[in-house]
Amino acid sequence: MATTKGGVPRRKFLKGAASAAAVGAFATTITGFPHIAGAQAKVIRVGMPTILSGRVAILGTSSRAAAQLAVKEFNESGGVNGRMIELVDRDSKGRPDEAAKVTRDLINNDGCEIIIDAEASSGSFAVQEVIRDLPVLCLHTCSETSSLTADPKIHVKTAFRSARQGIHDAVAGGKYASAISKSKGLKRWMTCSPDYAYGRDNTAEFLEYLKIFDPNVEVVDQVWPKLFQPDYTENITKILQVKPQAMYSALWGGDLVAFIEQSNLYSLFNNITFFSGGLGDPPVLTAIKNLPAGLNTVYRYNRFYPNKPGNQAFAEGYNGIAKQEPTNWSWQNRLACSFIFEALKRTNGKTEGTALASELKGMALDSPFAVEDKITMRDSDHTIIGYPAAWGVTSSKFPYVENFTAPAWSEIIQLESEWKKRKGYA
Amino acid sequence: MELEALAGCLSSMSCAVTQVSTGLIIGMLLFLVASGLSLIFGVLGVINFAHGSFYMIGAYFAFSAYQLTDSFTLAILSGALGVGIFGMAFERLFMSKVYGRDVLMQLLVCYAFILILDDMVKILYGAEYKLMGMPQTFALPPFQIAGGFIPSYYVFMIGISAVVGLVLWLGIAKTRFGKVVRAAAINPTMVGALGINTTLLYAFVFGVGSMLAGTAGALAAPIRTLTPGMGLSILIESFIVTVIGGMGSIVGAFIAALLIGLTRSFGSMGFPLFVDGMMFGIMALVLILKPSGLLGRPVH
Amino acid sequence: MLGRSSLRDLAWAALLLVGLLVLPILVPHPAMRDFVIYVIAYGLLAMSLNLLVGFTGLVSFGHAAYFASGAYIFGLLMQSGNVSLPVAMLAAVGGTALLALVIGAICVRLKEIYFAFLTLAFQMFIHSIILTWVSLTGGDQGLMGGIPRPTFLGIDLNDSMTLYSFCAVVFVACLVIMRQIVQSPFGYTLRMIRDNPHRANFLGVNVVRMKLAIFVISGTMASVGGIVMALFVSGAYPEFGFWTTSGEAIFMIMLGGTQLFIGPLVGAILLQTLNHYVTIYTEHHGLVLGIVILIFVLGLRRGLADFVYLWFQDRRTRKLEKETGR
Repeated sequence: MATTKGGVPRRKFLKGAASAAAVGAFATTITGFPHIAGAQAKVIRVGMPTILSGRVAILGTSSRAAAQLAVKEFNESGGVNGRMIELVDRDSKGRPDEAAKVTRDLINNDGCEIIIDAEASSGSFAVQEVIRDLPVLCLHTCSETSSLTADPKIHVKTAFRSARQGIHDAVAGGKYASAISKSKGLKRWMTCSPDYAYGRDNTAEFLEYLKIFDPNVEVVDQVWPKLFQPDYTENITKILQVKPQAMYSALWGGDLVAFIEQSNLYSLFNNITFFSGGLGDPPVLTAIKNLPAGLNTVYRYNRFYPNKPGNQAFAEGYNGIAKQEPTNWSWQNRLACSFIFEALKRTNGKTEGTALASELKGMALDSPFAVEDKITMRDSDHTIIGYPAAWGVTSSKFPYVENFTAPAWSEIIQLESEWKKRKGYA
Repeated sequence: MELEALAGCLSSMSCAVTQVSTGLIIGMLLFLVASGLSLIFGVLGVINFAHGSFYMIGAYFAFSAYQLTDSFTLAILSGALGVGIFGMAFERLFMSKVYGRDVLMQLLVCYAFILILDDMVKILYGAEYKLMGMPQTFALPPFQIAGGFIPSYYVFMIGISAVVGLVLWLGIAKTRFGKVVRAAAINPTMVGALGINTTLLYAFVFGVGSMLAGTAGALAAPIRTLTPGMGLSILIESFIVTVIGGMGSIVGAFIAALLIGLTRSFGSMGFPLFVDGMMFGIMALVLILKPSGLLGRPVH
Repeated sequence: MLGRSSLRDLAWAALLLVGLLVLPILVPHPAMRDFVIYVIAYGLLAMSLNLLVGFTGLVSFGHAAYFASGAYIFGLLMQSGNVSLPVAMLAAVGGTALLALVIGAICVRLKEIYFAFLTLAFQMFIHSIILTWVSLTGGDQGLMGGIPRPTFLGIDLNDSMTLYSFCAVVFVACLVIMRQIVQSPFGYTLRMIRDNPHRANFLGVNVVRMKLAIFVISGTMASVGGIVMALFVSGAYPEFGFWTTSGEAIFMIMLGGTQLFIGPLVGAILLQTLNHYVTIYTEHHGLVLGIVILIFVLGLRRGLADFVYLWFQDRRTRKLEKETGR
């Protein structure tokens, strides 16, 4: 059976291997020469399948820059047990099947022992299936689709998410928006979101919680531009016809930049209170030439929120190599690296998937991005809590979003668990 | 289906005005790109699948010129002329080498350039979103006509597109040079035998066609996000327009572009989720009933 | 009625199969198997497309539609859990044949470039159906949650070596079928249609029916490629049916060559190798790939296999001339 190896019980065998490794590490410190003892002395290769070309290349470039920065710091501080980390990135060109292939290649061919999956949602689901096959530790750092971790059917033992989760944002957004809708009497709502899985789910969840917190809200119409649609005039004029009081949009990235700029031509935001699920990302804010003040947006990244020295140091360091502000994907990848480093420290450099996974389960980190005490990798469903699920308002001065407010995480978790029951996930 | 909404819109003057203008805004820019594609096919008999990438570099040329000079006029001109010259060079150095060969070879040369240009843009400008910014001249509240809204920049954009289209049509239909071009489209050997330099003519026509794409890109730069790969969707749409209108027909491209524009704008009222399927549906229908398109002349 | 050439083909097929099965023993690296499976899936797509492009002269821009339909029908049936794996495969092939029959019946009547456009339009139509019909297909996220591979006839495809061998057998079987078609009288009729459709018509060939037949056959073969892909990545994605996938298939054909039966396979191997190494060493693979395409199209002016073949023929004729000439 697999539990014994040559008569030695597996657990004892592993213990032996671990102590041999410890001896190796000891020898290194004494002699000053690295003791080449099999796998333990090699660099730890971390693979990163991501999107580096095409219209969302910024997802990959800003994820990679953050991870590179983290790895550099880690190696400069001596690595773990004498082992350094090497980051190997690969472009999937935004194709899920390519993401699957590239991930397999990274593990099988390049000897990557850990995967940071910086793919967009559809790619992440493909990577998840690879990890089911080849169970190394994997952290999804860009997919916000709730079901990736919430749905037990999709769950994989060694896969985690170090990224915001749709349902958390929905609860926070619903609560934030309802406070404004109640005080201003915003009853007629409309949505304008991209027509694909993320856009539809995100919008539906936002509306669900908006209505829970403010039952007077009525959704009078919804428009669904295509993903990557270059021109939104047809949607904007439709919104002008319907004349809602408030609007929610899950548009993001370049699409959102075009939408805001084209809406400005129609002075759309003069009479409509706008709530955005993507505007808070620094590259979006800086790309828009005429950013109207007073638009409401979810937190994506901000160097002054949470207002901690570590956060500003991260933004400075990131600016040093990327020459721009970090994106939402940047902090999520930075955080993923922190989780991986800590897990490696706790396993003493052992990279076996299940060993790292058992360390990661329930791990709580003192992160510069934590809004309360810590950011925790939740044991039950392998996703993070305690990160900034906040909303703010656009302003004309850098960093263009201010007045962040966030509900208590206890409230988010409470509503999330009810949602899970309704969905049949828990 | 929300057909009542559509009927309601058609009976309201303000809504009808806004939606018709929306159709024009979408349609006219599409017409510029598609007419270039159609012109090149009509005269040279090749499909420039890199046309969407020409639109993209037109936008980036305009972006750079605007940053350097702060002049909107220069931005548009450099987008148009820059891509025109680029197009001529592309025709001479690459496209002309595959004339008369398999259509797949032409497709591949264009595919190569789609890949190369996307990467070049990424290397030169980075992967992040770019926007040229609206010139101050157009920072006005939208015009109101019969209760409908039309932003001033769009009025300008439609106007420029209409003028360019008109000049193109007049140039081909009414001038001596246009006659030569039309003759070359039908019988290049004969035109060559008459002592006209067809090589130069081809390069020039390709340049003009490219210029149309570049102009469209430059006009789009203030209002659409610039990213590598932005040419893809416009390529598909302009291709549909060209096929529906008839490969090689400028007037056909005009009619088809407006048809698509209006389908989009009124479709978003009446059948919002089916607008895209509708476009491919129209294209398939036209191909089945009249393969050469609404106004195209059949290819032997 | 197996002729000598058929026997020779079968011998070659057996040799290829043995080679494929021995390969992972010689190169015991899992990445090698992954690579070969990828070549098999896209090789089938390219070779089946070449039945149309190279042998019949029908340039289809929409071939990926059948690759996608194979992958989706297979994936959906397996996820439903009601059918066994071979049945799902047969159903996917059959379903795709039906789809190709309907689309082909409309398309093959059109000439040349219009045929290409219409196949493209249908492909985009199918792609937008996959994107819109979220409840069935999962929309842009593809078929999620993995495709189960239950054991059948004692074969467990969850074992990666078994999966590899299974794909290799299916691949070689498809090659044999395609080869038989190409070498049959029907195959020669297709070549005649390619070279001179009017003459074929005069000789009493029902050109439309012949074209439709090969259209359906080539669609079904592409669907097998899609099934292999779905089995391997344990999912199906709308990108399978996007025009860029068709473009890649065309690229493989041109890279390898259209004139030899084996040409597209050479192209598939070349493109996969190229893709593999280029993405490792640079993120500017578009630039590199674009330049490689230009070198092939403008430099070699034909696919690699055709190039080598012509070179050998050239040498042989020159040698013959030398021997006989003086």
